[in-house]
Formats: sequence, C-alpha cells, structure tokens
Amino acid sequence: MAAIERRAFIKGAGLGALAFTVGGADVLLTPAQARAQGVPLRTLKPDEAETIEAIGETLAPDARKQGIASFIDQQISIPAEEALLEARILNVRPPYANFYRAAIGAINNASTAKHGKRFAELDAATQHDFVDQMRQNKIDGWKGPPGPFVYLILRSDAVDVVYGTMAGYASLDIPYMAHIAPTKRW
Amino acid sequence: MATHEKVDVVIVGAGASGSTYAAVLAKAGKKVVLLESGPDWQLSDLISSDIWGRRVKPAGAPFLLEGKNPYGYAYQAGWGVGGAALHYFANFPRLMPNDFKVKSEHGRGLDWPINYADVAPFYDRVADDVGVSGDAKAEERWRPAGKAYPMPPMKTFKNGDIWLKGFEAVGIKMTPAAVGMNSVPYKGRPACLYDGWCHVGCPIGALANPLVTYLGDAKKAGAEVRARSTVTRVLTNPAGNKVTGVEYYDEKKEKQVQEASVVILAAWAGQNPRLMLNSATDKHPKGLANKSGLLGKYMMAHFASGTFAMFDEDVENHMGTVGAQYFSYDRYDKTSHKNAFGSTFIVAGTAQKTSDLSGFANARLDLFGPALADFMKRAKRGLTRIGAFGEEMPNIENRIEVASDKDEFGMPLAKIIHSFDQDAVALWNANFEEGLRIAKATDAKESWSARGNQPTIHLFGGTIMGTDASNSVVDSFGQTHEIGNLYVAGPGMFPTEGAPNPTYTIFALSLRGAEHLASQWSSVAG
Repeated sequence: MAAIERRAFIKGAGLGALAFTVGGADVLLTPAQARAQGVPLRTLKPDEAETIEAIGETLAPDARKQGIASFIDQQISIPAEEALLEARILNVRPPYANFYRAAIGAINNASTAKHGKRFAELDAATQHDFVDQMRQNKIDGWKGPPGPFVYLILRSDAVDVVYGTMAGYASLDIPYMAHIAPTKRW
Repeated sequence: MATHEKVDVVIVGAGASGSTYAAVLAKAGKKVVLLESGPDWQLSDLISSDIWGRRVKPAGAPFLLEGKNPYGYAYQAGWGVGGAALHYFANFPRLMPNDFKVKSEHGRGLDWPINYADVAPFYDRVADDVGVSGDAKAEERWRPAGKAYPMPPMKTFKNGDIWLKGFEAVGIKMTPAAVGMNSVPYKGRPACLYDGWCHVGCPIGALANPLVTYLGDAKKAGAEVRARSTVTRVLTNPAGNKVTGVEYYDEKKEKQVQEASVVILAAWAGQNPRLMLNSATDKHPKGLANKSGLLGKYMMAHFASGTFAMFDEDVENHMGTVGAQYFSYDRYDKTSHKNAFGSTFIVAGTAQKTSDLSGFANARLDLFGPALADFMKRAKRGLTRIGAFGEEMPNIENRIEVASDKDEFGMPLAKIIHSFDQDAVALWNANFEEGLRIAKATDAKESWSARGNQPTIHLFGGTIMGTDASNSVVDSFGQTHEIGNLYVAGPGMFPTEGAPNPTYTIFALSLRGAEHLASQWSSVAG
C-alpha cells in the first residue's frame, strides 16, 4: 500500500476535540474555543482559573488564549483513566484536581506572603520573577507540592495547549504528519 | 463470584511477554486466556499526538514511590492490550555476552544461570517472527556472529547523520540500529513512513507491537483476551504445591475466578511481585515462591545521559523514528569509564516533537515565557540529541513491598523503593562528559547536557532468575522454583539489566520459556 493511500485510509479516524458541557449537552470544542465561548467551568473556581491562566501565560505566551484553564478544568473533571494531562505520566496520584488545587493554593499563598497580592494580580515582570524563583525552589515558606514540580507540570500544560496541538505545530511551521489526526482543531 | 471453566493456561498481562507465551501455547493446541487490566486497544486507537498518546499510559492502581531516586514508571509502562510494547520505541539491541557473568568476571552484581549462546538463537527467531531491520554483520564488532536480520537497515536523517563526525572524533563507531520496524514491507505489514510518532503507538503496523505480531498470532490460534480484567490473587491448592488459577475483577468490577493448569504472570515487572506477595497463604506466608526472601528484591533501572546540540542548519528533526538510527556498544565493557562501573549503550538519531517529556520544550526546562518561545523557533530547525544509557548493578535494597493503602479491589498497593548507588551516579556523569566531547566535535553552535534528576528508565528485577530457590525466584525459563506450574515472564527475570532497551530480550526469553513449557507440558501441567 502506498504511503499516501495509507494516510487516506486513516484520515478522519481520530477522536474529536474535548467534550465540554454547554447548555446541558456535550459538545466537542478545543480548549481555545471553550474559553472564547465562555463555556462554564466544571471544577475550577473562577479565581483558580484566573491563577492558572496567569501562570500559564507567564510560562508559555498565548497559553491563556489557547484555553489552558478550560483544558485543565475539563481534564480534572473526567475520570482519571481518560485524562490526557502530563501529570498522568509524571506519576501524580489521581484525582488530579487535588494536585492542581494544592498547586494553586501554594502559588497564591506564597505570592500573598511575598507581595501582598494573589499571583494573577501581580504585574508581568513580578510574575516572571516569581516563577523563576518557584522553578528553583527558592521561595521561602513555600507550602504545597514542591515548587519545581509545580513549575514542571504547569509548564507542560502550557506547552501542550500552545505547542502540542496541530495548530501549535502549524504556528512553528512544523509538518505534523499524523497517521491518525486528533482532528484539525486539536 | 463466578468460576470459569478451567483452561490450560491463564496469562496475566497481554504485553510483549504475555503475547509471546500466548502465541506459542495457543499454536501448540492449548486453551489460552489472557487477562489484561486495561482497555482492549486497537490500532485505530493510536492517535498521532503526544497529548492523546497519554491514554495508553498507566491508569490503574498507583505504585508508591520511595528512595533517593524514586522510580518514575508512568511514562514508560503500559496499560491495556499490548502493554508497554504498544508505545515502545522498538529499539532492538541485544544483551552482550559480558552481561551474563558479571559476578564471575567482576566479583559484583549477579550471574545469569545461562549464557549469551543460550539466548542468541531466540534473538534470531524473534527477528524473523516480528520483523527486525538492521545490519547484523556490523554488530559482529561487538557480539558473536548470528543470523542476518530479515530487513535492511532503516533510512537515516540529518538529525542522526550530523553526529557521526563527533562520535568518530572520540573513537566511537556507530552502526545502523537494529529496530523492530519495517524498512520494507514485511509479512503483509507496510514499511515505515518515518513520521516520528512511534512513541504514541504505530497504527499502520510498521512497528512490531504485540497487536500485529505475537498477540495477533495468538488470537488466530484461538487465544482469548479479556480486557479490563484485573487479577488480584494467584490461587493455590491446599498443599501449596500447585497453582489452580487466578482471582480477578472483570469490567463490571465483579469478582471472577479463572481456573487453569498453568499460570503465567506476564504483567509489569512491578505488578508481578505485587501479585505474588498478595497471594500469600499459610503454605507461602511470605508470598508465592518466596522461600528465598528475594521476591520483590533487586529492582533495577536504566538511566540516560542525554546531550543536546543546536545546529544552524535544518536537521530534519521532525523526521525519522523515535528510537534510534544508530547505536554503539563501544562503551559496553563494564569498566569502560574510569571510576565508574557498568555498561553504556549509545544511541543517535531520533525524531522529536514539540511537547511531552522528550519534546523540544523539555530540552531546556529552565526556559519559560518569551525565552521559551524563542527557543522553540530555533529548536524546530536545528535541535537534535544523542543518548547514553547506563547500567545499574543489582542492589537488594531496591525493592517492592506491599503498602497499607489499598486499591479499589481491596488489594494492597505496592511501593517501589529505589536509589542509585555511587557507581550508577559516576557512570551517569561520565556519560554526560563524553556526550559533551562528542557534541563539541560536531559543527553544533551550542551543546548542553540534559541534566536534572537522575532518570529511571525501564524496570527490571523483582522475580530474578537463578540456579535454585536459595538465590532466585525463577529458573531461566521463568518457572518458579517452588511451584512448578507457576511461571513469571518479562524483565523481572533479569538478574542484571545490561544497558540496552529490554524488549528484544523480553521477547527472546519469553519465546524460550514458552517453547520449553510446551515441550514439558505433561510434567508441568499434569
């Protein structure tokens, strides 16, 4: 079978985008679309999502627009065995919501102790410095999952939504070359 | 609870080793049932995406991780039909003759009860069975002559070729890598497209995963696969000298018993000892086949010293396979590096993607924000890497124990306690230093070591083979010393790990064990 025929054979055989609940019905959307359409969050509270967006944007520019909060919220709201989070392959023990809640709490507690504001309320330069300190485990009084591990997990999530999708590959002008595409949108 | 009609063989785990046993025994006319805890994956489930590829990684009961170097299993282990070999890189290097007698030759580690010559014919047989591409003649630089591989070597790409100048400068000869992939169509399966998605599963069957090799053969011969069937205990007779079957929970989470004449534990190397420890009885108070007290002991891992380099030119890093285009055993002598001990296996040439553990972004974990965005733009054109895999010596303190926490079926969780010793750390460092020397002898504009926490790659030991019950759990065929109709398969049998990727050896040892079992059937199962 020629290569092009094999590619044709598998075209369209992939899963759809993630399932978000809109008006009581499941619809397939990318996280970016879910954010743009204001799809309600299922597990994260608004201030938690705000923190995720702020740190995601600090870690990988464009992560906010690409829907990092919608991605994480959807992923921690489904059974762990269906999860696509990098936390799964970095030995985080389910339920994954526990880890994210602990990480968000640690970030905001440390930010408030150091700067008197939650992380999302800091200016961009201060956010950058905070993340750099967290990455190196240099934040005094940090309580929660180790800072470098929080950095690793959230940075991976941000990289996933910005660079790990077909759109992300296109933004870098890298041929995606799927055998089975996860759909063009995701 | 339902008790199923007795079968000849029940195999726990439908990965590389379980599939091989199933194929041999089903073809020998035995009624075979494979119980697999995860989903029944099909080739059409293998989506080309690092994100979606995580679905085939473990999602069952977690292992608790302890020690100085906790064993990070979730990236590399399997979950579901095909096991880890559903998403492996399909590098097919062999162990070398010097791996089998480390204790005798160096006074450390352990000896295998067999030699390279005992396994070599099975390497050749597996190559023909599943399809291996490579250059066996070139490998004779390091090993005894054997049969030619059934397919010529794979194509190479700039991301591999560009390193050869550096290897030559430090006196390392690289040869075409042996891989379980089709360089040309083979046995009705197509040739590789070099799209670099091997690590999330190859849906066209060009890569020799169990679904398109031994498991496919087993099913054709009548073997039955029951997915989402989690085994919790191996059952024994009142005298404790025979196993009678296994207890498991089906997809509805209802308890079942599958009786069998022979039980083969072919789950993950961490799960087999967990099951055997959880199957303790008054006749086997420390766990099945554990008179030696060595069940769950001598767990080992590989570690990698990666070196990255950035070139000005386009190295086509999105193309190729994820395993290796080239490999070398030129540092395989156990004393190759001064002040370190253990073999090193070297690879070069790999396709890279953007995200996930081995993606571009993780090549510089320190970068974030605009610096990361800038790096990604440069990496997509000029980033490439090599790897040196090191061997850890067996240490009885590296072990699996049952924990007090339990899983959803009431089975105690297991903890893996693992620390690298000074030799492993020294070898890891020596390989980093040599990696940088290699990189600096190329035309790379930048080069750096992929340092972080010392990684744990592959898992070995826990049910090691040996000469008798005083020094091991199983013999070289995987038969437990104490219970004749209980077998263990997979890398848990390895008394030492060598340095290369293990799956080729897992296939070879499983084929050897399965054929021995078939030949001794009446005495084992009777």
